[in-house]
Amino acid sequence: MKKHDKAPNGHEPVVIDVGDGAAIPKSSDKGLVSAWRISFLGAVAILAYLLIDRPDPYLRIFKFVPDGILVTFQVTVFSIAMALVIGLITGLGRISRNKYVNLIASTYVEIVRGVPLLVQLFYIYYALGRFVRVPDLLAAVIAMSFCYGAYMGEVFRAGIASIPVGQTEAARSLGFNRAQTMYYVVLPQAWRTILPPVGNEFIALLKDTSLVSILGVADLLRRGREFASESFEYFETFTMVAVIYLIITLILSKLVSIMEERLSHHVKR
Amino acid sequence: MIRKCALALLLVALTASPSLAKTLVFATDATWPPMEFVNADKQITGYAIEYMKAAAKEAGFTAEFKAVAWDGIFAGLAAGKYNAICSSVSITEERKKTMDFSTPYFKVRQALVVPVKSDAKCIESMKGKTLGAQISTTGHFAIKKAEGVKDKSYDEVGLAFEDLYNGRIDGVVCDDPVAAQYALQNDKYKGALKIACIIESGTDEFYGIAVKKGDKEDLDLINKGIAAVQKKGIDKELLKKWIGGGK
Repeated sequence: MKKHDKAPNGHEPVVIDVGDGAAIPKSSDKGLVSAWRISFLGAVAILAYLLIDRPDPYLRIFKFVPDGILVTFQVTVFSIAMALVIGLITGLGRISRNKYVNLIASTYVEIVRGVPLLVQLFYIYYALGRFVRVPDLLAAVIAMSFCYGAYMGEVFRAGIASIPVGQTEAARSLGFNRAQTMYYVVLPQAWRTILPPVGNEFIALLKDTSLVSILGVADLLRRGREFASESFEYFETFTMVAVIYLIITLILSKLVSIMEERLSHHVKR
Repeated sequence: MIRKCALALLLVALTASPSLAKTLVFATDATWPPMEFVNADKQITGYAIEYMKAAAKEAGFTAEFKAVAWDGIFAGLAAGKYNAICSSVSITEERKKTMDFSTPYFKVRQALVVPVKSDAKCIESMKGKTLGAQISTTGHFAIKKAEGVKDKSYDEVGLAFEDLYNGRIDGVVCDDPVAAQYALQNDKYKGALKIACIIESGTDEFYGIAVKKGDKEDLDLINKGIAAVQKKGIDKELLKKWIGGGK
């Protein structure tokens, strides 16, 4: 399959770049790699310095927020898992030849992308409350994945579209039906294009989970705000919260870049 | 030419303002009916707002109100973004350490609101249940103090009531006039929620106007106004108008 990693016109394979994630330090981008090192070491150094040199209030804050970090992770992981499923269905729907399926999927994407995430969160959280009684964490996950499913759908669609038509034609001429072509030929190849932006979305989603604090979900930001508004140590608390978010995001972006390189090692010359 | 005109206007505006009565900017989280809230005409109003307007008239200053989110309201005061907070701030020892308070203008108690069908007596019988409150209000502190009760904090008390109405939490703790407003007067919640009890804390709780620590000048002005309002009995009229009945 190797030669098909290049687009038919001989250019580099399509890379889907979603701008709202973290900056992924690719090894080809030397500036970003050193920027990553500086930010990461800087953030860790600041954290260590604050905790050791000024345990009051920083150590108190640090001990107050861990359950919030856990909630942040829970919301992120569950949301991304659900968003992947919704995204795959939406992505397939968007390229479907059945015009009704196509219309439904496209309308969903159009609506979701047209409403601010914060408004959607409020809307789904309180709308859900009217009909079903679900715990707040689940409600937040549903709201997040409903929104991110649409973005993910676009990632899937673009990933699938990046596979040359010749692949499909060849599979079809060998007697594969449409579903088989998609499942055995197109998706396994598209996956490589899709995975990096999915990692990117994962980080973007992790950052966006800070919005669920508005719903009273006790995530990292909420815990920080609770601490701050009781102790009046706003600056110290938000310094801590920002550094923790930054460290988590930087670790994740490094992981995504490693994953990206593994996936594309065969493309290198 | 336009630039010159604008400059002249700016100069006039700058030099003119000190000659007027002193303006005090009050921060208020206008989500606390009937004390302070935004009415249908998008105006900030309520018992505390009219109280301060009356006090301003008596003491000879102009009161201006600025809507500020609750959980950053004290930070804004410390940073000097406004002169005072008029937002149903209960006077607590903890808060006195970082800000100064005017003379009390309203006595308040914490009420527990539950669904009509609930058989909860008071906060002691809510072990293992989740109670909601606005973040870092005295109601939130009361929940945290109660043993075995889980707390859930909201940015606005109205969101807590909506979650209670939808059954996500088991009760809401907030100031009694607010509890009464939501559980007894609000058309939507009237039949669905009730006040289970008034939480006994052992000490009386009062609202005060908060000013930046050491800001004696503004504090004196506000105290003068509050004293005049109480002396003239304007507070009684306002009580009748906003809280109803009056106690």
